[in-house]
Amino acid sequence: MSNTVTTVLGPVDAADLGVVAVHEALLSVVPGAQYAFDIEIDRADVFDTLRAQLHEFKAAGGGTVVDRTGMFHGRDVRLLENLSRATGVHIVASTGMGPEENLGGYFLTPQTNPPTPWPAERFAELFAAEVTEGMVVPRVERRGGAGLIVTDATESGATPTDESLLRGAARAAATTGVALSFGAPADPAAALEIALAEGVPASRVIVAGLDRADAAGTALAVAERGAYVALDHVGWDAASGHLDDDARAGLVAELIAAGHLDRILLSSSSTGAAFGHAPAPATLTTVLTDFVPRLRARGITDEQIERILVANPQAVLAGQEN
Amino acid sequence: MARVNTVLGPIAVKELGFTSIHEHIGYGMPGSELDTKWWKSPEQRYEETIPKLRKFREYGGETFVDATGICNGRDLDYYKSISEKTGVHLIASTGFVGGDTALKFFADASVEYLADQFIHELTVGIGRSGAKAGIIKVGVSRGFKMLPLDLKIYRAAARASRETGAPILTHLAVDVHPAIEIFQDEGLPLSRVLFGHADDGVSQGKVDEQAILSAGGRVGFDTFGYDLELPDPPFWGRPRQERLEHFLRYIREGHIDQVLAAADANCSPLGWPGVKGHTINYIFETLIPALKENGIDDAMIRKVFVDNVADFFTPPAS
Repeated sequence: MSNTVTTVLGPVDAADLGVVAVHEALLSVVPGAQYAFDIEIDRADVFDTLRAQLHEFKAAGGGTVVDRTGMFHGRDVRLLENLSRATGVHIVASTGMGPEENLGGYFLTPQTNPPTPWPAERFAELFAAEVTEGMVVPRVERRGGAGLIVTDATESGATPTDESLLRGAARAAATTGVALSFGAPADPAAALEIALAEGVPASRVIVAGLDRADAAGTALAVAERGAYVALDHVGWDAASGHLDDDARAGLVAELIAAGHLDRILLSSSSTGAAFGHAPAPATLTTVLTDFVPRLRARGITDEQIERILVANPQAVLAGQEN
Repeated sequence: MARVNTVLGPIAVKELGFTSIHEHIGYGMPGSELDTKWWKSPEQRYEETIPKLRKFREYGGETFVDATGICNGRDLDYYKSISEKTGVHLIASTGFVGGDTALKFFADASVEYLADQFIHELTVGIGRSGAKAGIIKVGVSRGFKMLPLDLKIYRAAARASRETGAPILTHLAVDVHPAIEIFQDEGLPLSRVLFGHADDGVSQGKVDEQAILSAGGRVGFDTFGYDLELPDPPFWGRPRQERLEHFLRYIREGHIDQVLAAADANCSPLGWPGVKGHTINYIFETLIPALKENGIDDAMIRKVFVDNVADFFTPPAS
């Protein structure tokens, strides 16, 4: 069991992470949008925008942001390093990809005959190398290691390639010892069994998106299986297909009552600077400024809140008993 | 006088000279940039590329049409430096090699948006490079069948071609009927379209050559040199003599006006190993001597590599 978490500036003692926002996106670019004729990604503007948001997060009591964009949705490792230096906020960057629609043809229709999509093993190698050898700046260099492996399945149901991605991500998590975070909107419980079958311990697995309106009941089952439950759309409303914050707070209370305080994670899936898609309706500070008062109003204690925002993410990211 | 955009600015079509119509400085499938197994240092990329283009110039080559689409490692600033240092005119493409090389942002875009993207790259510029595209690339996804995304890109390309006068070149000449239908539906003369890779090994038996010719389209013999005689030929390779005879048949049957030729070689491949022993200079070192041995004279060679190219880049009178 390690006591450190890999941030973009190197290993940090888990106890120093503070409040962790586990599922956020800093720079978020839909694959291909960087080549669009009418999208201008002004790096200096992006830096200023994200720096201001990270300062706000810090002022609200935040300590660490986990950028859950993976390796092919706008991740810019050097930008993240400089943002962390400029703000003092720890940033954990992620590797991984998904769902299938976000992948490049290199993985889906390779220059082989027939063009067989990549199997799990190759994804596992690609993602594991980003942990052990460092994250890529495409065709230029590797930087520090990824601190989380992420993947997502297609909303309407996992495709065969989505399953290869999940198996590969889980295998890479198992071999490297970093945590796995996956979203599987159509069937989170089945996806969790697939991940566990690849040898990653449940205590290193985060299941994303369990505050979707259609995920009712799944959160409890996931927690019972020993994996972490990410209620990661804090601040999103019912129109977005998620629980509203009131129902979300109710789900937190329900999980606590069932004895799963140690498996709850909260985050907002914010998009600090979004290109090629609509920005998220929540920000990095939504959990601390808007949602924590709601939890208190429901009688959830400060000690329990601290557990959810500080101890739980530390444990899953560092691989500690919790 | 008709003009064409090179990466260093417009030139008169009369200045194009000897042109290879379908080549790549370096091609990589989208996402290959994430896999370090293919990475090359900038030194290595220039070392692999510059000598081939200098030799191309020495042989009398003047213009190199790069058929690398958006998302495939197309790199205009790099192209500009290569063109400037070697003296080879370099024409860049807008468009996509096929639907399966268009990333999500473009896969989700409308026909109108894609047409605007292509027109912008042809008339305003590509990214921040200041360089404009001179030709539009489209193509058929893997599987020899036009997919809905391929069709959408073909339609957008037809609109961009009508708007700008730039010609279109295709990756693969298979499943050609839906393509011809779209071009006709959009009012684009088929002489604006080069149906490429009609000569590759895997396409044989799948190309309706008569349909292309009778519609007035152009046929690309543009994978010259991917010979099965190579030590490690690619899956689209073909016996050298068979390809040559295929080409000679076209010329002898009176279709010389409708053919263009190239080698489709990568100077320095980006996301695949490339094919050892195959370069653009196959045209001068192997193809032209073979054509001459078979009675094709200099005037006919000039027709294929110079006059037809100039005609292809000349917008139709409006």
